Amino acid sequence: MNEPLKILNQSNELVSPELSDTVTLTTLDKAIDMLSTIVSPIANLARSNSVWPLTFGTSCCAIEMMCVGMSAFDISRFGSEVFRATPRQADLILTAGTITRKMASALITLYEQLPEPKYVIAMGACTITGGMFNDSYSVVQGVDRLIPVDVYLPGCPPRPEAILDALLKLQQKIRTENYAKRRLKGYDQRPVRYVDYDSGRPMEDLLAMAMEETKEVLTKQDNDNTK
Amino acid sequence: MTEKPAEKTEVKLEIGRFGKFLQDNGIKSKRQSDSNNVETIVIDAKDLEPAMRLLKTSSETTLNFLLCVSGVDYADKIDSVYHLWSYEHNDALVIKVELPKNNMTNTQTPCMSSISNFWPAANWHERETYDLVGIRYLKHPYLRRILNPWDWEGHPLRRDYKQLIDALNDKNPHSFR
Ligand code: SF4
Repeated sequence: MNEPLKILNQSNELVSPELSDTVTLTTLDKAIDMLSTIVSPIANLARSNSVWPLTFGTSCCAIEMMCVGMSAFDISRFGSEVFRATPRQADLILTAGTITRKMASALITLYEQLPEPKYVIAMGACTITGGMFNDSYSVVQGVDRLIPVDVYLPGCPPRPEAILDALLKLQQKIRTENYAKRRLKGYDQRPVRYVDYDSGRPMEDLLAMAMEETKEVLTKQDNDNTK
Repeated sequence: MTEKPAEKTEVKLEIGRFGKFLQDNGIKSKRQSDSNNVETIVIDAKDLEPAMRLLKTSSETTLNFLLCVSGVDYADKIDSVYHLWSYEHNDALVIKVELPKNNMTNTQTPCMSSISNFWPAANWHERETYDLVGIRYLKHPYLRRILNPWDWEGHPLRRDYKQLIDALNDKNPHSFR
């Protein structure tokens, strides 16, 4: 593993591994960047006040999530009353409940189906570390092993006030965002399916490496055959 | 597991009502101490089907309601446990079938016959027991894992189950499991 990695870019030139992660800005990107500094504050204000959560509850934390939607706490004061039943219409996953290994693939699929911009609040001890099921054979020790998390909300279960607080924190975060920056960081928004956990490298890079190796082996075989 | 089975202090228990009934019909059974004041008997795996048929249909017993099928992993044997109930007589019976382990490894499974042709309710219970304890019920119509994903390795409630340590589960690899 000591030899330098060979990675090809789109026009089939060899690039060094340090360069593979950097981003080159085209003029279009620059234009979008400039535009987004003007548009973002307005768009963010609208976005942050209409964060629609997905109806996603896998165990006891979901009861608190229901409670926060009811009139005593009333999440609609902050513009999030519309719990959507499909990820295609939602902006936020409140992972309310224990995520088991069997549920993990479903959660990743749901996250992938959310349109950008998408946010995740890891709600409850279970989704932060595995909680009291930490030692169990079937529980994933934290959803941040599957999908990127914006706000961690500890508690078992967190009070409805805490959920509102987490939502306000998320709104603050959304207001500071810049659309173009977020687009360039698309990489960070990926679920774990695209990243190799052992090496921490994206799957595309690994695939490119593997293809490169195969090519080498094939050409070597060809050369041997022709000899 | 390396531990030895504890020395048993055998107490000779009198034959119970259901044990007597089975004995009269030519099926041998051994009585164990009652669980929650419910008669508990142990029978051979090969006697299970005739015994179940008798207990279910005979007007003397009418144990026609299957409460639950479960499995227990002991040091030297694996038990398959059946809880039966009778609404007519307000009666209950626990039947155990002992399957010796004989140096069985973690992935091997003892076999015995299914009772899902008597009680359709046993279908999922037996699948669950297969999934978690690893008893293979022969003649079961669809013996597949029910709670764990289909590609799970091993049976999690076995004594010698070693927990998978991977990207999703590696926080405390030395803890008691
Ligand atoms: S954190 Fe507590 S309340 Fe929330 S899902 Fe886990 S066990 Fe239930």
